[in-house]
Amino acid sequence: MSLIKISNLSKTYQSNGLSTPVLHQVSFEINEQEFVTIMGPSGSGKTTLMHILGFLERQSTGDYKFKGKNVENFDDNYLAKLRNEEVGFVFQAFNLLPRTTVLDNVKLPLLYSKKKNHDLLARKALESVGLGSRLNYYTNQISGGEKQRVAIARALVTNPAVIFADEPTGNLDSKSGNTVLYLLQQLNKQGRTIILVTHEAETANHAKRIIKIKDGAIISDQAVHKRVFATANTELIK
Amino acid sequence: MNLKTSLFLAFHSIKRGNKGTLFMTILIMTLAYVNLVFVSSIFGGIVQAINNEAINNQYSNIVITPAVNNIYIKKNHAEQRLSSLPGVQAVATHYVNQAIIKYDKNRDGNDIQKGRWTIKSINPKQEEKVTDIYKSMVAGSYLKATDRNQIILGRDISGAYGSDLEYLSLGVKVGDQVDVYFSNGVKRTYTVKGIFKTKNTQVNQSAFITKGEMESVLRVYNRSSEILVKTKNISSEGMVIREIRRSGFKTEDIKKWSALMGFTSGASKSFDMISIILGAIGTIVAGITIFIIIFVSVVNKRKQIGILKAIGMREGTIVAYFVIQALFYGLVGVLLGISLILFVVRPLFISNPLDFPVGWVSLKITFNIIKISNISLLSAALIGGFFPAYKGAKRSILNSIWG
Ligand SMILES: Nc1ncnc2c1ncn2[C@@H]1O[C@H](COP(=O)(O)OP(=O)(O)O)[C@@H](O)[C@H]1O
Ligand SMILES: [Mg+2]
Repeated sequence: MSLIKISNLSKTYQSNGLSTPVLHQVSFEINEQEFVTIMGPSGSGKTTLMHILGFLERQSTGDYKFKGKNVENFDDNYLAKLRNEEVGFVFQAFNLLPRTTVLDNVKLPLLYSKKKNHDLLARKALESVGLGSRLNYYTNQISGGEKQRVAIARALVTNPAVIFADEPTGNLDSKSGNTVLYLLQQLNKQGRTIILVTHEAETANHAKRIIKIKDGAIISDQAVHKRVFATANTELIK
Repeated sequence: MNLKTSLFLAFHSIKRGNKGTLFMTILIMTLAYVNLVFVSSIFGGIVQAINNEAINNQYSNIVITPAVNNIYIKKNHAEQRLSSLPGVQAVATHYVNQAIIKYDKNRDGNDIQKGRWTIKSINPKQEEKVTDIYKSMVAGSYLKATDRNQIILGRDISGAYGSDLEYLSLGVKVGDQVDVYFSNGVKRTYTVKGIFKTKNTQVNQSAFITKGEMESVLRVYNRSSEILVKTKNISSEGMVIREIRRSGFKTEDIKKWSALMGFTSGASKSFDMISIILGAIGTIVAGITIFIIIFVSVVNKRKQIGILKAIGMREGTIVAYFVIQALFYGLVGVLLGISLILFVVRPLFISNPLDFPVGWVSLKITFNIIKISNISLLSAALIGGFFPAYKGAKRSILNSIWG
């Protein structure tokens, strides 16, 4: 079923009378349970595209239908609700709250939802990324790889339709990066839609489909032939 | 807006935030609050002290003076008639005369000190029930009903005892003799029996002799120039005045003490003005303090705000998150401030009232002052907190997170 459908979507930044066109007439459709990589060189507009798809920003022109509904018609509060319930973000820079425990960081999105048993849901999410033993650590007391796994737990705790990951391995060593990719593949296997943004071909090949963009336009959109499967890190299998 | 989330975030932030900043903020709020209550209460206290002095030493509650064109109140047994009216506690009748008092220290006709003052006659026992003059003797003693050639003087007539009008006074001591020239031409010589000192300047510039003595000077009986009526409580003054009228005092001039206090009602208005101005300044300072604290907090948490918005928090929730913190500071300030006022400052002032020239001044803390101060400080917190919070919450998500 179609989850995301964009047609002729463009984005131009306006600042100080200067307009910077970033995306040009981008069109594609992503169905539920897909694992798509948006790949392209630095500055090609990947992050901008992801922000629009994740309701963090609005397009300048063109259409965006989420679950068949036009996003242009939603007000800011409704977009906030969508961000809370329908999507989860994993950023390159983790973006966890400082001076806050791992558990509280993961509980944060639940504060806003109607779901019960926040503690239990957050613990389960953290156990699924192998951090069941770090619940009460503060975010400055854990490693980068662990931080990114906390971010993944936070992204999936509300049980969203789609998880966006923007260069999630960019700040990590290869072993930790591999763990993150393994977790994303596991989540996809469990039926969750994953949209991964990266500039590395090796990382991109963990997905099932790659949309390549350059200078804000799509240059190819193909299925992955030789898919790479990340191996489970020993620390996760406990 | 989701209040539960805002509350959680606000208290999480207060708990995890810098303790020194928290302490300073609450201290400033508390002091701002104490300042608000204190300024209004001290002015209220001054006005009350002036009023108390006037009631206790000069006017009591109600003053009856003769009808127009009459010198005396011509009512037989006026005291008994008035005393039996409902709501009346006690009654004192006075004759009032403007007289010249002379003091010739060496009895040689040289260096004579003199001046014109108000002399009133009193019935000493009756007077004790109405005014506190008998408690205010600083030298010698109070009058007895049978005294005939004795006079008691206010300290501004005698001089000394901290008199404000030393150069106009006679310079007499207890036991000295003074000559009194009444307005009808009668001259009498009196021995100074006592000197009294109140905090009311007008009273300190008057002298008292007994009723019997004054009647022999004026050659009138059963009359009076003014009658002071002390009521059982201040709120029944109006009712008592109606009773007095009904009992036969149709044409006499009857006034409440407050109507006779032109000066203090003017002062009272000025004090109100001053306390409003000082209160407004205090409130604005408190508001600006909150503004700065919340502004700094919003700037420091810019990225956090972005993340919260990214995971689905609405702007209203984020505004409330900071406004709740501001209100918390305000509320703790109010609570600590009230405690400080009620359990420290007020008892301190009650046991050590300030010795003002106008009277013993304590704090007059009213429910109204407390209410207005609460509203002022909490509004300051609300407004001071809202603007930076709103501005922070309105920033775009990406701007907040990345730059
Ligand atoms: N807020 C903005 N204002 C102006 N230009 C921007 C803004 N954000 C991104 N850009 C520009 O858009 C282009 C694409 O940026 P981005 O989407 O971050 O690319 P990528 O993620 O592929 O590296 C860059 O040239 C960048 O400078
Ligand atoms: Mg990018």
